Amino acid sequence: MAILNKKSKVSDEVPTSSMADIAFLLLIFFLVTTVFPKDSGLQIVLPEEAEQIEVSQRNILHINIQESGLVVVRRGESTQEQTLQAREIQQLWRTEVDANPNLIASVRTHPEAAHRHMIAVLDQLQLANAERVSLQIMEN
Amino acid sequence: MALSKSGFERKSGVSDEIPSSSLADIAFLLLIFFMVTTVFRTTRDRPIVWPQAEATERIDEKRQNIMHVWLERNGDVWINDMRTPIQDVRSIVRPAYLESERRLVISLRADTEVPYRFTNQLMEEFKAAGAVRLVFATELERRMARERR
Repeated sequence: MAILNKKSKVSDEVPTSSMADIAFLLLIFFLVTTVFPKDSGLQIVLPEEAEQIEVSQRNILHINIQESGLVVVRRGESTQEQTLQAREIQQLWRTEVDANPNLIASVRTHPEAAHRHMIAVLDQLQLANAERVSLQIMEN
Repeated sequence: MALSKSGFERKSGVSDEIPSSSLADIAFLLLIFFMVTTVFRTTRDRPIVWPQAEATERIDEKRQNIMHVWLERNGDVWINDMRTPIQDVRSIVRPAYLESERRLVISLRADTEVPYRFTNQLMEEFKAAGAVRLVFATELERRMARERR
């Protein structure tokens, strides 16, 4: 009994002196790991005002977006037209640009066509690494 | 001098050190105060449906050089929480463009269904203001989602 009653010298309290250090540690951890959501999207550069470049018809691929979202493709000089789905553009561009590295995509969108149809085509062109893209509106 | 000689040199029982144990508390207090009082410049989100694109990329530009232009389904344009007539866009974009030292990037947040004529009209305004760096804001489309469609 005498042995059991002996008081322990170890304190039974939780040490509070390092609490501030722990709080700072957590704070710095969250400061470092927090990321703010960044804007994302499809980047393009608009032509400068009144900037016009003459391009030979041979180097143009006309991509006309209909109101329904269907895409009509016509190669520069020819009158032959081809109707495609937007998601087929990527493959088309890759084969066309292999044949002619100076090719320019001239995208004409119908005034009433939904924004997403134009985005779908632009998306496909960017996936195919098309750098020379011109966005225009279709004149009736 | 005479006073100090006659017994006034008795040591004070009060410590002359500044207590440092509450330093952390003061630091926290200041920190929390500034955290609470800091207001980030934000604009309220407009109700639009985001278009999706696989080629979506993050804009590599400082937040302060990015201008958000909202284009709603009915053709309404919102800049800085204000409805803006489309022909006034250039007069808002131009000063912002000059202030950003020509680094301004416009993030065009257009609804998926907005007719292209509004987008076209806006692009003409941006061109007139000289701001030629444009981003069509989109959500990243996952390939999985595309295959399911």
